[in-house]
Amino acid sequence: MFDRLVGIIGNYVDVEPENIHPESRFMEDLGFTSFDFMSMLGELEDELDVEIDEQEAVNIRTVQEAADYLEKLASEE
Amino acid sequence: MQCSTIREILVYAAEKFGDGDAIRYKVKKDVTESKSYTQLKADSESFSKVLEELGENGHHIAVTGMTSYPWLVTYFGTVNSGSVAVPLDVSLPAEEMCELIDRADVTVFVFDEIRKDVAAIVKERCPKLKYLISMQKETGDEESLSFWELLKKQDGSYAFMPQPDSLCTIMFTSGTTGKSKGVMLTHRNMAENATCLDMKIAERTVILSVLPIHHAYCLSMDILKGISLGSIICINDSLLRVAKNIKLFKLNMILMVPLMIETMAKKLEEASLLPPKIVKHQVFGEQFHTICSGGAYLNPAYIDLFAKYGITILQGYGMTECAPVISTTISWDIRKDSVGQLLPNCEAKSVDGELWVRGSSVMQGYYKMPEETAEALQDGWLRTGDLGYVGEDNFVYLTGRKKNLIITKNGENVSPEELENKLGEQRLVQEILVRENEGVIEAEIFPDYDYVKKKRIKDIPGELQKVIDDYNKTAPAYKKIYSLKVRETEFEKTPSKKIKRY
Repeated sequence: MFDRLVGIIGNYVDVEPENIHPESRFMEDLGFTSFDFMSMLGELEDELDVEIDEQEAVNIRTVQEAADYLEKLASEE
Repeated sequence: MQCSTIREILVYAAEKFGDGDAIRYKVKKDVTESKSYTQLKADSESFSKVLEELGENGHHIAVTGMTSYPWLVTYFGTVNSGSVAVPLDVSLPAEEMCELIDRADVTVFVFDEIRKDVAAIVKERCPKLKYLISMQKETGDEESLSFWELLKKQDGSYAFMPQPDSLCTIMFTSGTTGKSKGVMLTHRNMAENATCLDMKIAERTVILSVLPIHHAYCLSMDILKGISLGSIICINDSLLRVAKNIKLFKLNMILMVPLMIETMAKKLEEASLLPPKIVKHQVFGEQFHTICSGGAYLNPAYIDLFAKYGITILQGYGMTECAPVISTTISWDIRKDSVGQLLPNCEAKSVDGELWVRGSSVMQGYYKMPEETAEALQDGWLRTGDLGYVGEDNFVYLTGRKKNLIITKNGENVSPEELENKLGEQRLVQEILVRENEGVIEAEIFPDYDYVKKKRIKDIPGELQKVIDDYNKTAPAYKKIYSLKVRETEFEKTPSKKIKRY
């Protein structure tokens, strides 16, 4: 899941894949806007065929947290 | 067709567009449902009757929730019964929402169940509140009444004619001193703002409402203007799914804030190796043609970028105090460095560089805040707090800001003092300055080094980050602080001992 996220992050911000780490924070470290972040999750929702809860999504800060959350949703499907 | 009350807009639309779809929304993935103009008017009138039955006509009715059909019915039913609607930001912390309900003298609170946390404490906190109405409950209980049950019982028409100059809506906006202010808007303020300019937008245009409904820009331009044009107003169910919903609802037009336009630009550029026409079809669909931008400054480069794909961006400028549009660009006369032409119901002048406006959309004042009102309104002129001027053909040009407010890219106004006061309560924070930096809210803190010594704190940035993290946990998304700077020296002060901001 982490690698999948690294792949899609590049569509939103200009960061080299080697500079994306599990502890990287979307807004503070990677330069995401809140709407970039929501749109990226929306894209993943389709790709993974899961339903993301917007209220839960706003609490995600790091790439690892996003990977864990998506992993959990995918396993529940 | 210019209307001077919100009821006139709804009656006109129901007569002209009758059984045509007015509001369209998703009920589950890829499945939509619609309500017609006739239904919207009928349900709104039923809600007016509900208020009459409860003995609450003419009182203040607060409504909170994501944009939804019940929200809209509540709004129209309230204002068209001679009552005053108080739309509240659904993301506010519960205590803050209760404070606004109390301060606005609300007697009925209509809420989406996502804010049942507020419903649980609001009666205790707000002694003037009499009724709670849940938008989702199928049957009422001890805690709250059911919106749908009440509506069903009060079927039938309600033909009250509100006066143009009577108060209809109180909208809260960030104050520069940290306390939000209730902007009092009349029927005329809102109805004329939405209908005084013929923007040559075709009737039955399909639009998607993506902005928060408690904002004047969304309520006036998506909803009131949309209804006056017989638009099919589609409701976006989540910010996660804007791109998907644009295609699902087969849109013609959308209102956005710059933050969203920037993300959509990335989506267009992602596929830029393909011919522009194909990219546009993929991202927005063939029938899409216009984006209206407002709420914050938009870099004019985006106007050119979207034009490449056959999409027109119309930029506007306004503030809640002006219901809210002051100027807008029209598709046949775009000047990229301007925020558009003054609306026909608005005049403007520059006073010491500050833009002052006057006209039928200017608010009555701030609710129960005479001092703030006197400061903002002078002889009928509204001091915008923005630096700018009006040029040839009534085009408005902005050059800076006089008032101390952070306008985020999603159009939210944030008072730095509010955040500074909250964080300043922490023992570790001696001095703090909050500002915007590269699109995010940043806090610069001078810690209390005596306290650091006393408590033997080793990792000062780490401890301060914890303070910020604690604050962020309960702050609405647009008030979260994403950048921290730690100072080793005190801030430079003005002669009155205030921190120098610039």
